[in-house]
Amino acid sequence: MNDMRFVERQVTTTTEIKFAARNVNVFYGDAQAIHDVSVDIEDKTVTAFIGPSGCGKSTFLRCLNRMNDTIPICRVEGDIRLDGEDIYDRRVDPVQLRARVGMVFQKPNPFPKSIYDNVAYGPRIHGLAASKAELDEIVERALRRGALWDEVKDRLDAPGTGLSGGQQQRLCIARAVATEPEVLLMDEPCSALDPIATAQVEELIDELRERYSVVIVTHSMQQAARVSQKTAFFHLGHLVEFGETGQIFTNPEDPRTESYITGRIG
Amino acid sequence: MTEHHIASAFDRDLEAIQARIMKMGGLVEAAIKDAARSLETRDEELAEKVRRADAAIDELEDLINAETARVIALRAPTASDLRIVLAVMKIAANLERIGDYAKNIAKRTVVLAQVPPVGDSAAALRRMAREVARMLQDALDAYVQRDVELAADVIERDRDVDQMYNALFRELLTFMMEDARNITPAMHLHFIAKNIERMGDHVTNIAEQLIYQVTGQRPTEERPKADRTSTGGG
Repeated sequence: MNDMRFVERQVTTTTEIKFAARNVNVFYGDAQAIHDVSVDIEDKTVTAFIGPSGCGKSTFLRCLNRMNDTIPICRVEGDIRLDGEDIYDRRVDPVQLRARVGMVFQKPNPFPKSIYDNVAYGPRIHGLAASKAELDEIVERALRRGALWDEVKDRLDAPGTGLSGGQQQRLCIARAVATEPEVLLMDEPCSALDPIATAQVEELIDELRERYSVVIVTHSMQQAARVSQKTAFFHLGHLVEFGETGQIFTNPEDPRTESYITGRIG
Repeated sequence: MTEHHIASAFDRDLEAIQARIMKMGGLVEAAIKDAARSLETRDEELAEKVRRADAAIDELEDLINAETARVIALRAPTASDLRIVLAVMKIAANLERIGDYAKNIAKRTVVLAQVPPVGDSAAALRRMAREVARMLQDALDAYVQRDVELAADVIERDRDVDQMYNALFRELLTFMMEDARNITPAMHLHFIAKNIERMGDHVTNIAEQLIYQVTGQRPTEERPKADRTSTGGG
């Protein structure tokens, strides 16, 4: 076990809980999408949500920063706490919550603005910079964390939409980290990217783990295995199994998890 | 897992590799029995056949290694599939070692056939080899049936083989002390006994691999160790 990767990927049980979800039920109108899900998301850990289409993994992810609020027929029941604080409390401002819990989507969606303005947008509306110099610093730091700085530092005024797909996705990640969030939610962040860009984003996710709690929804089980330390398997709206990624992929406890990850009809 | 993969070619690949293990196991079982019979009946021709047959066993191991590497590269097996592939590789390696020991017994048989027999150790060795061959047969049956209990039974029976080895060790020591001219044949017989004892250990490993493959857990109990000759208790 001299391989550094093994040491690195060891999951310590002392890690702080970032999100604590208890008995979460989600409904779209009369249809129940999530059934009684309880899970602890750890800080400084990559947690992967896997499961077949329609299993509720994206729905549950979107509960974590109240993105479901934007869907009128969607109703969330249960208790979701971020650092012990109920995020569905009446006094919580969803916009402020989303500054703490950033999100990256499946398709890179840069604003039709310059690279600089894409990253500066969040810090500006949240008033995180007192001066232009400070904003410049925030933008550079975010682009460095997004592993994009070296590729774009000479053309910050160029439109973000002119970048390649992989660069656009890293720009979106830079944009998400610019507001110094505590948690980063990623919904299929690599599904529109080629293998090289995917590898770069995965490497980036591994680096982001030092600073943030990362939750990633992915259809690629190999991706879940590569980037995460904890894996949650959803099926038909239920959280079937949640555990250490290595254990899930070598010896899952539930036969439904086994069927899904080995590619059997389950 | 009795369900099938959505990619049916994956099922065929895994089945093909496991079929090779069974074929290899059959060859190794025959090698043990033939080697023991050639020793007891001083049949040099049969011994020669065992030596030549080892090449086929080695070839099968190479083939299994190549095929498992391919499945890992192309299918990225996980969970029970991963355990099948890992177990197959280790079982093939253990079978190959047993084959080597059978070949070594055959080589010594050719030497022993040139000198007068010492006591009736050859018969005792054949009994010991027969027990190991039966253990291997059961281990392979357990593999096909995914029978964890039978595998555990095989592991338990290795103790008997160790005890047979202890008895033979003492007997051969006596022969050597009685007459120095017995030393050369008795040393060969002792190596043969040790080879068979080691075969038992490799069969035990195979049974352990099956338990891991089925349950995902290594057997926790300390494996029976009744070979006390290395601790001076022989």
